[in-house]
Amino acid sequence: MKVYCTSPWIPVEWVCAHGHEPCGVWAAVDELPSATAEGVCPFARALVELASKNHQAAFVFTTACDQSRRAADAVLLQSHTPVFLFNLPATWQTPAAHRLYRAELARLGRFLERLGGFSPSYLELMLVIRRYSEQRAMLLDLIQHSPARQAAEAVMQYFWPDHAKKPASAGKVTAHGVPVALIGGPLLPSQWGIFDVIESAGGRVVLNATEPGERCLVPQLTLSTDNSDLQAVLADHYLDHWVDVFQRPNTRLYDWLAVRIAQRGVRAILLWVNLHCDLWRAEAQTLRNRFGLPVVMLEAHDIPANLNRVTTRLAALIETVRSGSRPADLHQPRKSEPYAVQRTNPGDSP
Amino acid sequence: MTTVPQQISLEEWDARYTELQQAGLHEPEYGGPLSRHVECEGDLRLRQLRFDNSAAALRLWNFLLTENERLHKARAQGDLLVGTMKDLGTVPAMVYSLPGVRAFYPDGTWWTPCLMSCTDRLLEQAEALGIEALSCPVRAMLAAFENQEHFPIPDLLICSVGATCDDFSAIAQRLAHLGHPVIWWEIPRRRVPDPDESACPLPGGLSAPQVQVELVREEIERVAVALGDAAKRKLDTQLLQAGIRAANVVRRQLAALRTAVYGSAGAPLPALEMLIAEMLAIHFCSDRTECIAVLEELLAEAQARLAARQFIAPPDAVRIYWVNPPADLRAINLLEECGGRLCGADFMFTHALEPIPEDLPPIDALARVALADPMIGSATERARRIVADCRKTNAEAVVVARIPGASHCPWESEQIRSIVRAETGLPTVELEVPPICDGLLPTLRHRLETVIEIARARRKSK
Repeated sequence: MKVYCTSPWIPVEWVCAHGHEPCGVWAAVDELPSATAEGVCPFARALVELASKNHQAAFVFTTACDQSRRAADAVLLQSHTPVFLFNLPATWQTPAAHRLYRAELARLGRFLERLGGFSPSYLELMLVIRRYSEQRAMLLDLIQHSPARQAAEAVMQYFWPDHAKKPASAGKVTAHGVPVALIGGPLLPSQWGIFDVIESAGGRVVLNATEPGERCLVPQLTLSTDNSDLQAVLADHYLDHWVDVFQRPNTRLYDWLAVRIAQRGVRAILLWVNLHCDLWRAEAQTLRNRFGLPVVMLEAHDIPANLNRVTTRLAALIETVRSGSRPADLHQPRKSEPYAVQRTNPGDSP
Repeated sequence: MTTVPQQISLEEWDARYTELQQAGLHEPEYGGPLSRHVECEGDLRLRQLRFDNSAAALRLWNFLLTENERLHKARAQGDLLVGTMKDLGTVPAMVYSLPGVRAFYPDGTWWTPCLMSCTDRLLEQAEALGIEALSCPVRAMLAAFENQEHFPIPDLLICSVGATCDDFSAIAQRLAHLGHPVIWWEIPRRRVPDPDESACPLPGGLSAPQVQVELVREEIERVAVALGDAAKRKLDTQLLQAGIRAANVVRRQLAALRTAVYGSAGAPLPALEMLIAEMLAIHFCSDRTECIAVLEELLAEAQARLAARQFIAPPDAVRIYWVNPPADLRAINLLEECGGRLCGADFMFTHALEPIPEDLPPIDALARVALADPMIGSATERARRIVADCRKTNAEAVVVARIPGASHCPWESEQIRSIVRAETGLPTVELEVPPICDGLLPTLRHRLETVIEIARARRKSK
C-alpha cells in the first residue's frame, strides 16, 4: 500500500520494512490551492484534499505544527482514508522525548501491520536500514556536487523512489552566481522553478534547507553487532539528528545552518515560507541576527503566480550583495541577542 | 448586595464608588475607584466597557488590573517570580506550592493592547522584533519582555510545547533567541487510546493512553525539580499535596459560581465578569490567598442576587454558550446588549476548572490535568465536550470567537460549529474579534442579534 509521509522525520525505511511503499507527500501535491480559508496553511489544506481523495492509500501526518495536526483531524472527520497522526516531540534533549519518539515509531509499526503490512525480522529491518542509510550517504555527497534543481530531484526520489520516471542526473555545478541558502518549509516539484529564477537573477543555491532538502536527510547510520534493538537505534538516530524549526529549542537548526553557511560561503538567505506558517516566518529576524546576512522572505504562493515580482526582488538582492553593500532592511545584530555574530563572510564568488 | 444589579459605565462607577465608600466599603490594599486604572495605567478600554455594579465586581476588577503592580511589589519583597507559558493552569498549581514563589502568565499580555486601546504599541513593537502582524495578539508578550514596561521579568520561564499553537510556540522561541532562557516541557497531542493500549481516565471525562500520562508525569517531574532548584527548596509530595488542595479550593469556588450563574433562570452576573472570574483559575491572578477571597465575595453576591431574584439578564434572555476568549473584552458585553446571556463557556482552559485529583500521587494528578487541556486534543473531542456542556446548561445558541492569527482557530472553529449543529441543532455563529473591535462592532452586533433571533424563533416553534 502507498503510505504518504508528510514529514521527513517519519523514517521511510520503517514504512518500507513493514512492506509498504513510502511516498514523500511533496511529490504528490501538484500545486497549492489558490484560495484557502483565512489562517489556513495552503500546504496543509492541499494535504487534506489529497488525503480525502486517496482512500486506497494511507497518510501519516505529524504534530510538527498545529496546522498539520489539525489537518489530520480534518481528514479523519471528512473521509475514510486511513490516517496516522505521528506525535513528533518538539523537545529533543530529554529522555522523555526519546521515549515518546520510540513509542510513536512502535505505534506506527502496529498501524502499518493493520494495513496489511508485516513486522520485519531483525535481519529484514537491518538490511532496509542499511540500504536507506547508504542511499542517504550517497545523496549527501551528490548534493555537494550537483546543481540545486537536480539535487532537489534526487532528494525527492529518496523519499518516494517511484515518483519520477527519470533518475536524477548529477549535472554540473556552476561556479557562477552569488551563493545563497534557501531555507524553509515545503518546496514542491511544481515550485522548483524557483531555482531557475534564482539563477537568472544571478544567484545559485548552495544550500537547500527546505523540505525535503538536504536538511531532511539524517546522516548515515552505521549499525554494529551490538545493536540488539534496531527499532530503538533507528528512533534515536532520527531524533538525535533531525533539524527543524519546530524543535524547542531550535538551536540545532541554527548550529546545522552555521556550519554549512560558513563552509559554502553563503552571501544571502532566502526564507521560503507558506502563507500562515508562523513557525518559519518568525525565524526571519533570528536568521538575520545570527548570520549577519541579508534575509529575503519568499512567499511560496508567489511561485509561479507572481514570478516577475519574485525575480525583481531577487535581482535587487543579488545586485546589492554583489556590490558589497547591505540591503536597507538589514539591521545590525542587536547586542542583546545571544546569537548575534559579526559577519565573517568569505569573498565574492567569481 | 444593597442595590439593583445592573451593568454600568466607568463614569457611573465613580459615583457608585463614592456611594459604596459612604456605606462603609472595606477594600483590600489594591482597592480604589476603577477610573484610576485609566488615569494611572492608561487602561483606556475600560471607558467602553459595561461593568457589574457590585462591590464584589469592583474587587474583582481591581484585583485583575493591579496584577503587574502587585507582581512588582512581590519582587521587591523578595518573592521569586515564575513566568509560566501556555499550559494554562498546571504549572502554577505547582509553583504556588512553594512559599515565596509566584507564577503568572506572560501570555496574559495578549489583552494589554485591548485594555490600553493599543496605546501601549506592543503589537507594533512585536512586529519590529520579528513577529508579523498576521500573528496572534499574544505577540504583545514578546514586546512586553523587551520594553519591560508591564510585568517584571520572571526569574524563571517555563513553557509547554508540542501540541500547542504555532504562533505561541514561535513567539516563545523568539523570546528565547532574544536571551530569555526557557525551560521547555513536552505536552503531547492527546489521543484516544488504541485498543491494545491501557487507558487512563482524565478529569473532565476524557481519557488518554497510559504511555502519554507517564510521559507528561516525567516532564512535570522535571519542571518540579527546576522549580525546587530555583526556590532552593525541594518541591516534595507534601508541599505539592497542599498546593493541589489550595488550587482545588479555587476550582470548587468557580464550580459553585458557574453552577449558580449559568444554572439560574436569569443571569445574576454579567458575562464579562464571569470571563474574568474563570480566568482566575489559571494562576490565581498572582495571589492565591486573595484570589480565594475575591471569588468568595463574588459567589456570595451571585447567591444573594439569586435569593432576591434579581438578575443582570432577565430569565427570557437567550442562553448562549461561548467558545474561546475574545481578544477584545468589549465583544462579550454585546451578549447582554443583544438580549443574550452566558450559560456556559469554554475559554480554552476547561481543564483548569476541573478539580485536580487528590487521591493520586500529586505529579500523576497534575499530569492527568495537563493532559485534559481542551486545546491539545482533537477538535472533535473539544466539540463533543461543548455539546455535552450545551445540553447540561440548556444552551440555545453557540458563539465561537475567533482569535485573529491563532493557528488553531481557522481549523477548529468550523469543525466545532458543524459538530454542534449536527448533534444539537443549535444555531451557531463565528465572531472574529480583534484586540480593538470598534470598527467591527456593527457587524458583530448584527451577527449576534441574528443568532439570538433564530434561537428565539426556535423557542416559539417548540
